[in-house]
Amino acid sequence: MSELETTQRPSWWKRSDAKKAIFLWVIFTAIIGYTASIIQSRAMGSPASENMSNTINMVKIFTWAAAPVAGLVAALTITTLLGQRHFGDNPPPEAEHEIRNSPRVAATWVVVSTLLCLFAVIYGMVLVQADENKLRTANPINIDVTGQQWVWNFKYVDNGGAQSADLYLPVNKPVLFHVTSTDVMHSFWIVQMGIKVDANPGYVTETGTTPNKIGVYDLRCAELCGLYHAYMQKKVHVVSQADYDAWVQNQGGNA
Amino acid sequence: MTTVTNRPASAGPSAPKKALIERLSIITGLLLGIVGAVLAWYLARTFLPVNTDGSYIKTRMDQEVFIAMIGWFVGFMTGIGALIGPFRWLLGKDLTHDETLFYAGKDQGVKRYFRYTTDHKVVGIQYLVITMVIFFVGGVLAMLIRTNLGHAGGNWLQPQTYNTVVGLHGITMVVGAIIMITGPFGNFIMPIMIGARDMAFPRLNALSFWLVVAAVPPLLSSIWLGGIPTGWSAYNPLENQAPPGMDGFIMAICIFAISTMVAGANITATAVKMRAKGMTWNRTPIFIYGVVASVALALPVFPVFFLSQVLSGLDRATGSTFFDVRGGGSPWLYENLFWIMGHPEVYVILIPALAALMEMAPVFTRRPLFSFNLAIMGIAGISGLSVLVWAHHLYVSGWAPLLNGPFMLTTELISIPTGMLFLVLIGTLWRGRVWITLPTAAIYAVLFNFTIGGITGIYLSDVSADAALHGSIFVTAHFHYTLMGAGLTSAIGALVYWFPKMTGRMFDKKLGWTAFWITQVGFNIAFMGMFMVGLAGQPRRVGAISAFYDKGNSITTMGAYIIMTGMLVLLHGVVVSWVWGTKATQNPWFAKSLEWSVAYPVPLENFDVLPVVTEDAYGYGKAQS
Repeated sequence: MSELETTQRPSWWKRSDAKKAIFLWVIFTAIIGYTASIIQSRAMGSPASENMSNTINMVKIFTWAAAPVAGLVAALTITTLLGQRHFGDNPPPEAEHEIRNSPRVAATWVVVSTLLCLFAVIYGMVLVQADENKLRTANPINIDVTGQQWVWNFKYVDNGGAQSADLYLPVNKPVLFHVTSTDVMHSFWIVQMGIKVDANPGYVTETGTTPNKIGVYDLRCAELCGLYHAYMQKKVHVVSQADYDAWVQNQGGNA
Repeated sequence: MTTVTNRPASAGPSAPKKALIERLSIITGLLLGIVGAVLAWYLARTFLPVNTDGSYIKTRMDQEVFIAMIGWFVGFMTGIGALIGPFRWLLGKDLTHDETLFYAGKDQGVKRYFRYTTDHKVVGIQYLVITMVIFFVGGVLAMLIRTNLGHAGGNWLQPQTYNTVVGLHGITMVVGAIIMITGPFGNFIMPIMIGARDMAFPRLNALSFWLVVAAVPPLLSSIWLGGIPTGWSAYNPLENQAPPGMDGFIMAICIFAISTMVAGANITATAVKMRAKGMTWNRTPIFIYGVVASVALALPVFPVFFLSQVLSGLDRATGSTFFDVRGGGSPWLYENLFWIMGHPEVYVILIPALAALMEMAPVFTRRPLFSFNLAIMGIAGISGLSVLVWAHHLYVSGWAPLLNGPFMLTTELISIPTGMLFLVLIGTLWRGRVWITLPTAAIYAVLFNFTIGGITGIYLSDVSADAALHGSIFVTAHFHYTLMGAGLTSAIGALVYWFPKMTGRMFDKKLGWTAFWITQVGFNIAFMGMFMVGLAGQPRRVGAISAFYDKGNSITTMGAYIIMTGMLVLLHGVVVSWVWGTKATQNPWFAKSLEWSVAYPVPLENFDVLPVVTEDAYGYGKAQS
């Protein structure tokens, strides 16, 4: 676009509208980002593993990256409503311009959305890789998890094959779950640790984490598995190493 | 092609002896369908060999149910008259001109809506009515779900009933949403909009509609056959374990998939070949692009859906083991087949919805569409990418973890073309003269809801965040924001916009605005509450909730009742406006696309003289005022 053309042709934006929109944009971005991230972290509760704290951080960062986008959409649409509104059964007079495009606006929009998208992808990939590496390099406790309609069974293979219906884990010790099912598909989900993997009949899938806080957490089935899917819930007890050893021996295993 | 006016008068309907094709209607269809079902069931019961092998599953009952339903399907399609054309052609005696006119519904009044009528306008109205019926059924089921989850411990539905309600709600709403734009408006409006006399294949058009009708009884029969405990995704091996109600589901999907494929081929051919003289691709309205992208996207993916259900049905009825690990099959195979359809399917719903908004935006801002090229690029980009994202539904399935990265990339890339469509809509509103009408309100509401739906989708597309959120009710809230908040709201806007052309009357303003505000407020209350409990870890599809999620679920249920109120007002508005509404002028919105150039009632072949197009439909603001 040459300088001459821009001065002669009506432009896609008017200075007064743009000022209004930018003002609203800043305000909306702040409000949306702040309230959404507060509400999100409050709803997601306090994390019991690094996976979950990473996830909560990521959700917050995504929210702050998305807030300007949502804020912009809100600001632009509200600005259009502040302008020439028209009510009634007959149409307003036609617009005083016939702008069909604005290459500069379109190009900026596409480039910025691409950059945001690439940021999300790269950040996500880095985090997945970090989780994966932790899962593979640590020297974990192995636990076999078997789902069946509508209970879970845990077998502590590194502790002499003790078994239980509630899950017990020692704190700050990496653990690797080998998950399978005897009938239909289930999904093994420890809510406060942010890990989940499907239990498929005939296959063994893996997931792992390191619980970092002593407490009682929720384990749920996250895949519709029939009648009592809603009740396929158990507790996860994260205890100190000494308590864990005592518990395992009590279950007939060895520490 | 000749025009209607200079044709000899038809002797068909007034002839003394009624020909066979004049006797067939939905009544003979239902009768023959029931006879077919009973007969097939009787034959199956008598002649099927008794199962003696140690099959994994009980199959005899499933075999009988399947055969009875095939009997229903063949009987109904014969009775409605779908076979007359092919049969005549087989005998070398194709339909006469009068018979073709009869099929087009000439001079039959209301009766033509209950026959195998080929006129695209009749098919459009038929689709509109069945879409509303489907949404009504789905809505009742939704209210059952929400009432059941009103507060912790308040669940009064039996688990099996609850799961069936969830599954039926899912499939009816998905089917309704798939046909809600391309069915009524793609059939009624599109041919007029491109300046054609009818669809490219009018008989296929009638076929696609009556196939949808044929799919309804098998689906509803599942209620009496033990239910569908699997949700609409019908994952194996749970599907394999389910009672015979599942067979009804499978049969319904197969019939509906054929309908979608037939409609897809027909609409695509129409838009490509039947556009008026001078309507180059640059002058073709954006709505046409949306409809074509939607059905063309359905063309490759619905056969996969069909296939997945056929294989499931074979597993159930014959003991084949496509998805059963014990016989060498894999449940992951089913998940892949299902989502290869399942993800493009959401864009099958969304693309025409957004295209309808883009079509309306210039009309209600009195300025040209902002960046037509960007709109096409966006539609094309979404269509192309949407077939490459399916495995983000399998991030935590354990299947091929190495693919998580690539699928995260394609999934997040899809936000770029989606953003383009946002820019087109906002750019058109920007510096326009906003005419506040219901369709305009729909544009604003969709921009609001779809921003929320889109952004929450980015969390879910991320592998690590998905490990926390997958299978939680957060996902449910997300796709309701996209399919209902964006999709259905667009469809309602489109209904109000094209209502004068389809019914000859204006949509009642007061009822329309009341319904709009009630549903939008209720919608946002309901699904914001659902986002909260989802983030806090409530799984999807649970029939009972723990006390921890009490507050969020009460909010959602309250919102659901508000939505219900709004939807009933809307339904009331549709009926009142259709019957008693103020008569509309030919072009009440002063729009420039071709469908507004014909008066109501639109004559049988739309145009006396086919129009010639010299510019696009968005030439607003040209040197006036």
